[in-house]
Amino acid sequence: MYSIIKYSIGSFLYMSLACSQIKLDINTIPDEVDVYLDGVNLGTSPVRNERIIPGAHIFEIKKKGYAPLKYDLIVNPSKAVEIDFFLNPVHACKFKTKEKGLVFELNGEHYWDTDNIRLDLEAGDHTLRVFKASELIDEQNIKIDKPETFNYKEKKIISN
Amino acid sequence: MISFFNYFYKFSLGLVVILYFSCAQFRGPKYPEIIYNNKQPLISVKYEYGEIQIILPIQYDGDIPENILFKVFAKADTMNPIISFLQEAPSEFRTTLPQGSLDITEKTNLIKIIPQDENFDPVSVRFKGIGFGRIVLPPKVIRSGQLIISGKTFLKNDASILPKVKVEIKDAEDVIFTTSSNDSGFYQIAIPGESRFSENLRIVVGENLIFKPLTQKLIFENSRKLKINALLGPSRAMRGPLYITEKSNVHFKKGPDIGAEILFLLNKGEVVSVDRITPGSYHGFIEVEISGGENIMMEGWVNRADLRELNLNSIRKVIKQ
Repeated sequence: MYSIIKYSIGSFLYMSLACSQIKLDINTIPDEVDVYLDGVNLGTSPVRNERIIPGAHIFEIKKKGYAPLKYDLIVNPSKAVEIDFFLNPVHACKFKTKEKGLVFELNGEHYWDTDNIRLDLEAGDHTLRVFKASELIDEQNIKIDKPETFNYKEKKIISN
Repeated sequence: MISFFNYFYKFSLGLVVILYFSCAQFRGPKYPEIIYNNKQPLISVKYEYGEIQIILPIQYDGDIPENILFKVFAKADTMNPIISFLQEAPSEFRTTLPQGSLDITEKTNLIKIIPQDENFDPVSVRFKGIGFGRIVLPPKVIRSGQLIISGKTFLKNDASILPKVKVEIKDAEDVIFTTSSNDSGFYQIAIPGESRFSENLRIVVGENLIFKPLTQKLIFENSRKLKINALLGPSRAMRGPLYITEKSNVHFKKGPDIGAEILFLLNKGEVVSVDRITPGSYHGFIEVEISGGENIMMEGWVNRADLRELNLNSIRKVIKQ
């Protein structure tokens, strides 16, 4: 009797899930990246003809040389859903200065005081603040769109 | 010679190591973390929505209404239809709805079929929806609405309410429905709508009484409801003493003599108002209904053996076991 009830409940759940599943396709730029859905690896992109049920899900994309991506999505009841992820690259940059006694802060959380340093920076805008004897002497946005070297002069930043 | 190569090898290796560390010093140290700027990722989400096609075969039992209004309700909302349209009575109702518009877990979706003809009653079809695709529902039969016959039963003599009087609907000799009036004398009968086309449909009231039952043809012309108040027994115009025929085909004659002209053959339960008595016959009056439902009194003679005195306190038939 117990097994019949268990079988019935199982069948009902299976049928409910089968009826409510949605076709899932995932594309990424660049391709061939690992795609995780709710912590489960779906393989490398592009992902085709996977199944997903309506509701809240978490997508995670990871690839060396790109900023990892985590995306919460509430999937609507539909026939199919196609998601395109555009990964943001990380560029290898150099930061140099001939000024002495300066402390540099990037995005409010990264600090260094050397006159020559190599940085891995996500493409896009970053906020640079410069301190001298604990006093803010400069603040500016720097835009990263390729690997490059920055030469900092007080109140002036020159890129190669 | 070997020692020369060994020396050269060690020298070159040392030079490479020195150059590497010298250059590393020149390149500067590497910051230990990747620096992110928490830029919002660029993501595109595209949905493809399906459609729900609903097919409801319609069958007609007898009469067909000219037009039908269909209304589709979803998710137990019976106030606001998600779609409604009027069309000529179809053999199949088809509609297409967007995905997600129906309840797919419970039978709370509803198609209301409203024939645009007062002889038909609206009918509903409840169903469980699907996410997308096609649903073919079981055929729905549309038939004309029930015919309602109602009224009260009275004693004609004093217009008092007569409870528990048997009421029958007959089609030719077939009894379609039987009921009895309640303690208030009220009765109501519903019969299938297609009976309206029968030419021999009639109501018979009072078969459990000693009087001749009331029989009336049922004609539904413009309405599906008929109100028939049954007045049973002798009228107030029939003055006592009252007698009642005990069998059918009782001779109601012009004179008391044998061979006198027979005016009527009385059925069992006919009431005679007697005013003169002879050794073999009663002289009295009977009520005869003429055209227009009006009653007139006719006088005549009946053999004494065919009548018994009527007691209005005991008007129900005694059923012998």
